[in-house]
Amino acid sequence: MKHPQLLFKNRIPGETVFFDGYRKSGGYEGLEKTIKSMSPAEVTELVKASGLCGRGGAGFPTGTKWSFFPSDQPGPKYLVCNCDEMEPGTYKDGVLLRTDPHQLIEGMIITAYALQTPEAYVFIRYAYEDCAQNLERAVAEAKEAGYLGKDILGSGFSCEIHVHRSAGRYICGEETALLSGLEGRRPNPRLKPPFPAVRGLFDRPTTVNNVETLANIQHIVTGGADWFKSLALTEEGAGTKLFGLSGHLEKTECFELPLGVTLDEIVNEHGGGVRGGKKFKACLPGGASTPYLAANHLDVPLDFTAITRAGSRLGTAGVTVFDEETCMVAVTLNLIRFFARESCGWCTPCRDGLPYVAWLLEQFEQGEATEEHLENLRGQFRNIAGRSFCALAEGAMGPVEGLFNCFEEELVDHIKKGRCPFK
Amino acid sequence: MVNLTIDGKEITVSKTATIYEAAKEAGIDIPVLCYAKKLLPYGACRVCLVEVEQMKGRLIPSCTTPVTEGMVVTTMSDEIQKVRKTVLEFLLVNHVIDCPVCDKGGECDLQDLTYEYEVVTNRFEGEKFDLPTDEVNPLIERNMNRCVLCGKCVRVCDEIVGYGSYSFINRGFETKIATAFDRGLNCEFCGQCVSMCPVGAILPRPFKFKARPWQIKEVDSVCSYCGNGCTITMGVKDNKVQTIRFNDKIGVNDGNLCIRGRFGYSYANSDDRLTTPLIKKDGELVEASWDEALEAVAEGFKKAAADKGVGIISGARLTNEELFLLKNVAKAIGTENLDHSGGECYKGVTEGLVETLGVKASTGTFPQVEDADVILSIRSDFYETHPVFGMVVNQAVKRNEAQLFIVADKKGKFGKLPNAETLLHKPALEVNVLNAMAQALIEDGSAVTDGVDGLDELKKSLADYAPEKVAAATGVPAEQIKAAAKALAGANKSAILLAYGLPYTAQSKEIAVAAANLAILSGNVDKEGSNLYLCGEKANSQGAIDLGVIPAGSGQGAQQMLDAAAAGSLSALYVVGEDMVTSYPDREKVEKALDGAGFVVAQDLFLSPTAQKADVVLPAASFAEKDGTFTNAERRIQRVHPGITSPGEAKTDYAIFELLANKLGAGLSYTGPAAVFAALANEVDAYKGVEFNAIGAQGVVWGGEELKAATKKVVPVKGAAAVDGKFVLLTGSALYHSGTVSTHAKGPVAVVPEAYVEFGSEDATVLQVADGDMIKIKANGAEVQLKAKVDKRLPQGVVFAPYHFAEAGLNKLYKGEAAIAVEVSK
Repeated sequence: MKHPQLLFKNRIPGETVFFDGYRKSGGYEGLEKTIKSMSPAEVTELVKASGLCGRGGAGFPTGTKWSFFPSDQPGPKYLVCNCDEMEPGTYKDGVLLRTDPHQLIEGMIITAYALQTPEAYVFIRYAYEDCAQNLERAVAEAKEAGYLGKDILGSGFSCEIHVHRSAGRYICGEETALLSGLEGRRPNPRLKPPFPAVRGLFDRPTTVNNVETLANIQHIVTGGADWFKSLALTEEGAGTKLFGLSGHLEKTECFELPLGVTLDEIVNEHGGGVRGGKKFKACLPGGASTPYLAANHLDVPLDFTAITRAGSRLGTAGVTVFDEETCMVAVTLNLIRFFARESCGWCTPCRDGLPYVAWLLEQFEQGEATEEHLENLRGQFRNIAGRSFCALAEGAMGPVEGLFNCFEEELVDHIKKGRCPFK
Repeated sequence: MVNLTIDGKEITVSKTATIYEAAKEAGIDIPVLCYAKKLLPYGACRVCLVEVEQMKGRLIPSCTTPVTEGMVVTTMSDEIQKVRKTVLEFLLVNHVIDCPVCDKGGECDLQDLTYEYEVVTNRFEGEKFDLPTDEVNPLIERNMNRCVLCGKCVRVCDEIVGYGSYSFINRGFETKIATAFDRGLNCEFCGQCVSMCPVGAILPRPFKFKARPWQIKEVDSVCSYCGNGCTITMGVKDNKVQTIRFNDKIGVNDGNLCIRGRFGYSYANSDDRLTTPLIKKDGELVEASWDEALEAVAEGFKKAAADKGVGIISGARLTNEELFLLKNVAKAIGTENLDHSGGECYKGVTEGLVETLGVKASTGTFPQVEDADVILSIRSDFYETHPVFGMVVNQAVKRNEAQLFIVADKKGKFGKLPNAETLLHKPALEVNVLNAMAQALIEDGSAVTDGVDGLDELKKSLADYAPEKVAAATGVPAEQIKAAAKALAGANKSAILLAYGLPYTAQSKEIAVAAANLAILSGNVDKEGSNLYLCGEKANSQGAIDLGVIPAGSGQGAQQMLDAAAAGSLSALYVVGEDMVTSYPDREKVEKALDGAGFVVAQDLFLSPTAQKADVVLPAASFAEKDGTFTNAERRIQRVHPGITSPGEAKTDYAIFELLANKLGAGLSYTGPAAVFAALANEVDAYKGVEFNAIGAQGVVWGGEELKAATKKVVPVKGAAAVDGKFVLLTGSALYHSGTVSTHAKGPVAVVPEAYVEFGSEDATVLQVADGDMIKIKANGAEVQLKAKVDKRLPQGVVFAPYHFAEAGLNKLYKGEAAIAVEVSK
């Protein structure tokens, strides 16, 4: 099924669209419209009405987040774009920036106007050097054209965008850790409250948004809130979403699909079905930190609400598929090892608890697990989720939660057989 | 205020309190590892989790969660018990269980919690760390295998001390606390990290294997070094001060100490202490009994009094009671020649303040500085002279965003703070800069002039100190001078800090007057919460001023006594607790005086270069052996308690004065320090009504939290001329030392064992000087050799050498000047 394309409308595989191409496709019209005919508050209201939810993983309504921002407070204020995409199975922001980087720049300028922040940063991980260069070129082109810099389009509003290459780690995706990192400190998460909108970057009011979230803004401005909402296939959803497919599929690519598309359509139509004609066993629907969905969930529409009812989260919509021959205990162990390694080491449950969960899962994989290990694993899941300083450990427990929800018998099977049944 | 319920108890607390603080106030204990009252909320260890009815579904960290109206908190349940136990199990997974040999055993938070939560076995298995112990320095040992990563050491070093020695490195399970590049610790060794560590990961090395906590007797007293007056709690065993214990419950310092307070106690235990009186026979000092010695002293003084007179010079580390008895001894001898601390360093500043403000003490207390929005620190960044007061300044600037202006001849640590600026002037020109600030206020019309006397003359004299003109002479940009003046005048609450001491004798009065002028003109004197701070170098500098240990009537001051003795017109000198040969300006003059006086008595802890020249040496007691009071730089009278008895036959100055007075026939008959204090309180107005035994843990601030200036008189004061010369030598205090006594303390000596001359990196490059090179310094016809130290604090053409060290002979070069031109060569 062909779906309407916003973010990928200019997509030509292997190529990047810069200023001329972007302008030809209607680029910067949203900015012109904003600057010439809208007040900052009107932009925020529009985004609120559009129902746009944050595309970075948490799915928090963007307009609501902006409405907390003290845009009329004097002194420095900041907009920060989170481009520290490092979750296993998530790569959509990279694709977006390799495809059409000006969308982010335009979205950021409109957002900066809405929030009245004269300074904006893109926090981009070092591994995305090509994307950073794309952005730097886009920034230079936008400045050249008068869309960025001092007194944009004669409006009196000025905005600078800085591209900051971070040494980035997974924890930098946590917005307060990102701010610590951007300040040149160790990227440890910070206490909330105060929230970044009150005390963020350099202790000043700050809003942090994801790349894809910001790239949607000018489309909302030009197309309107109602149109944006209508793009989704479900009542609760709004807009389109970049789905990054990976794992045991015939086609592992990034697609722009409406929110609310079913898992079945993603797997069997866009993903070309499970690789080698095997059966679908499970998937991570939204990156490494989301609980698994299994074969009985194929009819679940993927938007922020419906998927929660199915016991998982949409997260970043990085869909990783596992076929019938995959050991889900092994998958979980692999994921937990990643989270344990990426823990910043700040709080006890995450720093010391995750390696322990990994150790427990190793016992299963090595065929040395007992009933006691099973109960310990169940207990740890409860001890860590909701007990840690930030959301990293909570996210790390997502796959463990999924393991218990959908595949507990597989754990038991490991104990009974005294080995991994898939080996 | 906020009302909430904790464990069924209804309580009302301030709305800024966290759940943990609210519970604590209500007497409900919640366990914590990473929480510390004086540090910013952290929330990492997760043992303080509680349940909050309004936030069901997850457990809430009580140490970081602010209270809200109507909150219902449960601090213990099966769930909480389980979670806390799990956290402890996690922490114990990689923690070495070496409690039998760990110095923290018996007072370790992890050990206590493990016991309380009955963590008998550990369900978890994991690797134990086997990290090497950091034993590179002699004072602080770091065993990271015991670390629970509470981060208190990292935070205290950053938030309070402002040094930033530690950081977390690595991720996940491998996370650990490390120094830059994971090398051995090399810092200021204040030991704040030692005091904050909840486990045995950071320990004081001098205390290793000395005693178990329960074998130690704790005695609260006051540090004997600077005028800060920090509470130190001595850990005593076997009649030795074994360590200084962490104590943030009482005193002015919130548990903070500097290297001197934390590790400098050991001079009391020194093997070099004098243990018996000595009498010079045939040019040799030989041991004598107290009776012989006192007889000789009494005879000598009587004879001298009848001849050309006796001079008495005291130090300012004696207690108030002892200083009072000394005055009585002076009376018994019949001399009015009584003075302290070289007669210069206190005299100028007090005279200056009396002339202008009519007071001779700080007008405020330290906590008020924390609330100040503008701070002007004169002479140094204050950290170097009064480190713990400096930590208050640091917090004012870092936490409360106060602006800090430092008028100094060298850069300091706090100059690097975000809101700090150093008005870096050429040596000896403090007054010029302060005058220019005053002139800037007059020029822009923001000077406070209501009820101010002497304005016209001041205005006339300040005409020479236009900021632009002063800028050219001092090197401080005019804009900076104006901005600092403007900020000071515009402050809601300001603090002006002025340190004084033996190495800063020159222009004392001028600086005090210039500072007071500025305090008056900027409104500092009038505004509530704005104050001027006068901070003495020694533990009881303020007490000595209050008690008037100064020449009475026609008596001579210290310098006059030295001149007289050198000229043969004073027959005896009684030197109490001062090593004049080492620490007074102009060593030649001091030596001549000691040689010229017919009869010299030295009363000291050590056979100092001064004592070596004495005819009779009386062995005195250290602070650790004394009962009495010190008055700190806030005017706070605090109790000093004895923790140990004196070695050998050494006696407290109190006891010596009493015996001597009796020998002299004066018959002092006080029943003890309380009685002496009662007598002195009767004579000293400020101390009236204060009762010795009623002085509590927080001491008594005489004159109240804010001392009102009696007068507001601005007085013209002349600046100095710049010192000509390719190199100019400054002297002063080094952070690690105080006076000369710290050179007998193992801690400070371990870090700074000997004198040095410090070069700025620019000069060092030009001169090709590296750390440790021997440098010849010539001035005033004398030459000394010192080891070079290269740093980044000094501007070009300025070198610095600390004055504490006897062997260095720095005072052969300077005769009391603020700065001197020197020749420097390798």
